[in-house]
Amino acid sequence: MKTILEKGIIFYQGKFQELDKLVIEKGKITEITLTSAKAKKGKAVPAPKKKTEASATVIDCSDEYILPGFIDAHTHISLEEEGVGWYDADFNESFGLATPHVRAFDALKMRDRAFKDALHGGVTTAMITPGSANPIGGQCCIVKMVGNTAEAAVIKESSGMKFAFGENPKRVYGEQKKFPSTRMGTAAVIREWLMKAQDYLKRKKTKEFKEREIKLEALLPLIEGKIQARAHAHQADDIITAYRIAQEFNLEMVFDHCTEGHLIAKELGKWKARAVVGPTFSSRCKPELRNKTFETVEILMDEGCVVALTTDHPVIPIEGLSVAAAMCVRHGLDEERAIKAITENPAIILGLDKRLGKLEVGYDADVVVWDGHPLDTRSKTKAVFVDGNKVI
Amino acid sequence: MSIIFNNVRIPMSGTFFPGQKVLVEKGKIASVGSMIRKNVEKVIECEQKYLIPGLIDAHSHLGLFESSTSVDDINEPFADITPHLRPLDGVKMRDRAMEDARRAGISTCMVCPGSERPISGICSILKTNGNSADVGLIVEQAGVLMSFGEQVKIAARNGEKSYVTRMGISALIRETLMKAQDYYALKQSKKMVKDREIDMEALIPLIRGEVPMRACAHRAEDIMAAIRIAEEFKLKLVIEYGTEAHMLATVLADKKIPVVLGPTLIPRFRYELNEKTFESAKILMDAGVEVAFTCDYPGLPIETLRVAAAMAIQYGLDEKRALAAITDVPASILGVEERLGKIKKGLDGDLALFSGHPLDIRSRLEALVVDGDLFVFSDELKVESGT
Repeated sequence: MKTILEKGIIFYQGKFQELDKLVIEKGKITEITLTSAKAKKGKAVPAPKKKTEASATVIDCSDEYILPGFIDAHTHISLEEEGVGWYDADFNESFGLATPHVRAFDALKMRDRAFKDALHGGVTTAMITPGSANPIGGQCCIVKMVGNTAEAAVIKESSGMKFAFGENPKRVYGEQKKFPSTRMGTAAVIREWLMKAQDYLKRKKTKEFKEREIKLEALLPLIEGKIQARAHAHQADDIITAYRIAQEFNLEMVFDHCTEGHLIAKELGKWKARAVVGPTFSSRCKPELRNKTFETVEILMDEGCVVALTTDHPVIPIEGLSVAAAMCVRHGLDEERAIKAITENPAIILGLDKRLGKLEVGYDADVVVWDGHPLDTRSKTKAVFVDGNKVI
Repeated sequence: MSIIFNNVRIPMSGTFFPGQKVLVEKGKIASVGSMIRKNVEKVIECEQKYLIPGLIDAHSHLGLFESSTSVDDINEPFADITPHLRPLDGVKMRDRAMEDARRAGISTCMVCPGSERPISGICSILKTNGNSADVGLIVEQAGVLMSFGEQVKIAARNGEKSYVTRMGISALIRETLMKAQDYYALKQSKKMVKDREIDMEALIPLIRGEVPMRACAHRAEDIMAAIRIAEEFKLKLVIEYGTEAHMLATVLADKKIPVVLGPTLIPRFRYELNEKTFESAKILMDAGVEVAFTCDYPGLPIETLRVAAAMAIQYGLDEKRALAAITDVPASILGVEERLGKIKKGLDGDLALFSGHPLDIRSRLEALVVDGDLFVFSDELKVESGT
């Protein structure tokens, strides 16, 4: 089954260009031709074109915009199914403190309306993470927005380990009158477990090792560099604490939220930091959000950081991802970089830049056709392809 | 005791075949046919009534729930992982429900602890005729009960437990199974002499693949979580409840995972019951999944097992498969198909005689035989002493 998109404006190699045709076959993009390239060759391409049309679905996209499916690199989609209540709130193991062995993948609910909403908003891939109540919250997964079972949607069952700094763990455990109720305590819990995991790894290589411990088993891929650390941190000092711990334990770290990132932009630039910024469209509902601004993205990008935008669904509904990008444009960011912040950059941050985030030959055919400019909030998704299947 | 049922209808290739005789001797079905001549102690003239195998409910808390009291022996609310709990130690054979079960034509039940904790105990298969649970016992260790989803979450939330989410439930079950695997491996390597741990001991038959994980799960996601864990630890699996199993019919058929379906005749009083439908059985069976009905006593009264089958017929299922889902299919899901579930020479003498079609709810149970013990429930039934 072959699908051909003809004409229209494609976001290709970092800019909007005129498309001649884009061919989708077996779930991948197999050909992209621009009108400019065709003009260069100077060859008229006449009748034979009709032949290929016979065995393929051809969609005329004249005056429409063709983009890669958007990626939200930090969500909680379906961990708390919308419109249900606490029965389906599977966000936080809020009596567990350090729960590296819990996996978001085990709580996905594929019928959650949010998956459909995501597709309508042009989002085809999302990282889903446990909440930020615990200093160590659990394992993140990456899925596409289509599938009857989590297994059918999965890209990575375990892609990262969630850590939380700042107000959330302090509040949750403080209210339970338990340790930790300070930022120092949160950092101490994280260090304690990472230290245990390092020693466990050493012990595991000896002959005396007999019985596994599931929490430490879960931390091994992190210690060995196979998965990334995801640090929930809003305030500048919390971001720096997270970085300090990452250095001590040699972790590959992504900074999530990064609300005050612009206050330490020089440092983040020096670290070549990767940051998932947002949800900027929320209110400043707690003290650590007091310096929130839509300018953070541009400031960090100018320092050389890889920056992606997030809705943190359900904090902001998932369709808000393109709106967040548009808001950044309103605050001075150029359009191309705003689009990269919801396509190419999250793919890089998630380690999927060889297959997602761009329209390139050989990449997954996650393609969205918009009836107008994708950052114009009035535009609709006219067609959405995931792995080459037309889902809208 | 030896008993003969004369001139009775028995189920045969999809219909009820009239004019048959069934002989029970020494607790077993000794002969089936139209030409049996034998001196027996009890002769029952059945006048074309309907004889079927004793009914089987493959998931219940019969005898653990104590009728007419506010306390029960179903759940251990202050412990999370209790695979070493054995139903035999809590079953009350003289509870009224045992008589109710017999009056409903039920001769066998799988009895298990409750589904409020991630791992709550082993499952046992009992007959309903014994004076003590040990007499009625068929198989003591017939699986380990594990539970997923809302019920576990509710209980955990009330007790401030560290598994208030679906992720936490899966993590705790994995942790326990990982321990059990390592415990078993240690035990296998004879060098290590070790003190036994009673909960781990109870999990060994599961780890060895001798008995299945019986996973209580309503929602599709919870069923998938059970499948995922069973595959990771190479466990046999049976889905209990399966309210949304019909949404995964092809997955369950491909993986050959049976479903003990129900209780369906309840209101949707929890969110996880939202997709409940009487069409489930047909959808699953059409896809090739083995399905048995349960009323999850005391979720529903034990007498409603026949009603579950009749309701499925109302929603499109054929009579043959509806009857099989309360006789030979539960026998097979419980791994006792060599002994139970059919009217066949050599099988246990478990028979139920109904005044009319057994899936017509108006029909009365006139007599029940369990292991050759005769219970008569109708004054009009002609029971004569043989010569």
